Amino acid sequence: MAKELVAMLLAGGQGSRLYALTQKLAKPAVPFGGKYRIIDFPLSNCVNSGIDTVGILTQYQPLVLNEYIGNGQPWDLDRLYGGVHVLPPYQKASGSDWYKGTANAIYQNISFIERYDPEYVIILSGDQICKQDYSDFLKFHKEKGAEFSVAVMEVPWDEASRFGLMVTDETDRITEFQEKPKEPKSNLASMGIYIFNWDILKKYLIEDEADPNSENDFGNNIIPNLLRDNRKMYAYRFSGYWKDVGTISSLWEANMEVLDPEHSGINLFDEDWKIYSRNSGMTGHFVGENALVENSMITDGCKINGTVKHSILFSGVVVEEGALVEDAVIMGKTVIKSGAVVKHCIVAEKAEIGENAVVGETPADGGVGEVATIASHVKIGANAKIGPNAMVYEDVKEGEEQW
Amino acid sequence: MVNSKAEALGIIFPNSYDSLVPELVTERLMASIPFAGRYRMCDFLISSMVHCGIDNISLIVRKNYHSLMDHLGSGREWDLTRKKGGLNIVPPFAQKSVKVYEGRIEALESIKNFLKRQNEKYVVMCDANIAVNFDFNALINAHMESGADVTIVYREQEIPEVFKRPNGTVSDLYYSFDVCDGRIKKVYINSKQSGTINFGMNIFVLEREKLIQLVEEAYMHGLSYFTRDILCPQVDTLNIQGYKYDGYVAHIHDMKSYFEENMKLLKEENLQALFEGNQIYTKIRDDNPTRYINGSNAKNVLIADGCVIEGEVENSILFRGVHVGKGAKVKNCVLMQDTVIEANASVEYVITDKNVKVSEGKSLTGNDSFQVYVAKNQTV
Repeated sequence: MAKELVAMLLAGGQGSRLYALTQKLAKPAVPFGGKYRIIDFPLSNCVNSGIDTVGILTQYQPLVLNEYIGNGQPWDLDRLYGGVHVLPPYQKASGSDWYKGTANAIYQNISFIERYDPEYVIILSGDQICKQDYSDFLKFHKEKGAEFSVAVMEVPWDEASRFGLMVTDETDRITEFQEKPKEPKSNLASMGIYIFNWDILKKYLIEDEADPNSENDFGNNIIPNLLRDNRKMYAYRFSGYWKDVGTISSLWEANMEVLDPEHSGINLFDEDWKIYSRNSGMTGHFVGENALVENSMITDGCKINGTVKHSILFSGVVVEEGALVEDAVIMGKTVIKSGAVVKHCIVAEKAEIGENAVVGETPADGGVGEVATIASHVKIGANAKIGPNAMVYEDVKEGEEQW
Repeated sequence: MVNSKAEALGIIFPNSYDSLVPELVTERLMASIPFAGRYRMCDFLISSMVHCGIDNISLIVRKNYHSLMDHLGSGREWDLTRKKGGLNIVPPFAQKSVKVYEGRIEALESIKNFLKRQNEKYVVMCDANIAVNFDFNALINAHMESGADVTIVYREQEIPEVFKRPNGTVSDLYYSFDVCDGRIKKVYINSKQSGTINFGMNIFVLEREKLIQLVEEAYMHGLSYFTRDILCPQVDTLNIQGYKYDGYVAHIHDMKSYFEENMKLLKEENLQALFEGNQIYTKIRDDNPTRYINGSNAKNVLIADGCVIEGEVENSILFRGVHVGKGAKVKNCVLMQDTVIEANASVEYVITDKNVKVSEGKSLTGNDSFQVYVAKNQTV
């Protein structure tokens, strides 16, 4: 039985601009929004859109991601036929290769896709926070009789030159592709989400692989080649919330936007479009007698005896009495000791902030500014001070300062 | 069996003591009563069994078991989707004269053929009216070492008030014991003695073949109750050992104790005592984290995921998906799943069942000795 649409999720990226957060895990496995990881968004979108076959292409630090995905059950992707499959590079009779680029990663898994004999393939990216109905995108693709469609967002004209832009005619047909141009002719930015007719995709992947000068990349090679051949290419306009969380500041900002769904547009409380995740299994969170919690998101297993303002706490975070957490993203099982002041920062999992230590600082102008970042398992000693620019990979001793 | 730590199968009686909390069991049974913010009563003993390597667990249900089946599903969340054993919900088997079982003996008789086919050497049996993080391996080891025919778990405590009321309508049986050098010398039925006694927790371990033999004999004589009709008369001929448990136990025997046992978990040491052992599994709802909106105020509360807090919450337990509106006040309450307290409403000493709505500006007040209970799906 053929599948109409198979999803291929690019999750091999290192996410090098997340520095301390991606030392030991791939970018899609980075925790987000209190109880999720970034990859929960595309996976939940798939299952909510009726896609039941997903290949996840992994390469960089896959251990956490592999364990997290498991059999795919939390996303209802444990299926007899289809379901979720983690696809690392593997050895073949003709040799073996790492994934050389996004297109090469799909090329190396042509045989995986062929098992399902799909009509269409959707290429997804594992580093975006977005709730999107891919079935609506597919409907558009079919209605246009397209061979290739790309999801695009309208961006402000003055920012357009930072993006890959699709220039379209009045029927949304793509006439030109501009990669980060100085003089943009369009403000439709590519979201890196593509639907291909499988026969077309396969043909271009094989051609691209045969070209020794190719970078094997969708944006740089496949799309320009499709344009060259005057293929039927269309831009699908998406207008919901979308955020590339590839940098520390954008990740922090996206987390903060979760706290204000009324204005920011990212609503995790949507019963009709749930975001699924693997559960921590901890008991409910506890807020103590002298605690103060304001405008925050708190999940299972947290114990709050201090003050938490405008922050996101992941499962099992402990905030001791007298500690202050403000504008912060505190990941699972981190302990904030009494008297510590933790502001405007991201603290990764299982870290410990010592007594009276100070981490981060609210920028004077109230903007995003610099976001102090502390890697997982790091211990910050008592009375230590971590400046707003700091990127802390290793333990900081008692009383020391790091900027 | 190579993989199993325990050589035992588990049997749970999910309807035991239903009659003590009639309000809570109109649409469910004891085992599926919500407890501690995100759990159901049966989660505790099932999880305890699973952590001790007991992965063949039968629940012999009597009535009102839809909510239990919905909660347990295939047993996946408890790691009980096994090819051998796993989770087994046994509904009453319609016979010519349909009669729902009265006591454990009839219940066990109904699964006798199943029991005969199993391979585990031992059987552990328990009810679901207690929440406890129990070490079944320690119990089974003690049973093996003592060479007992049956080992019963007891706790040193007073007899709960509800059982001692002079004109009480309690139809359920409870037991207390005289224990001498570990052996149970005498079994008291529905004693009203005051002071600390050895109160039976209705957790038993015995060999499977012994159980089948005892049940077969008793059933032929038309007997119903395992402790009253089998153990009590044979206390001299059977070697019945007592196993004292002094860990944390939450025991539900009336509405008041339901309220108090929930409230006790607001004390950190109690919460820890119940949860610090093995993880307690439960059904997953995929709620988002709980959101505190500007103007909220929370003090001394245990709150599950999926809640939205805009008002004031104090000394309370909130289950998953509760909404406390702007200006609303919640004090000393247990609010079950998806309760909505609308703006400016106020509730104090109230237990709301699932999906209850307290409308805008309305107020509802009980007191520390009697809590107002609002039944499932009601709007105040």
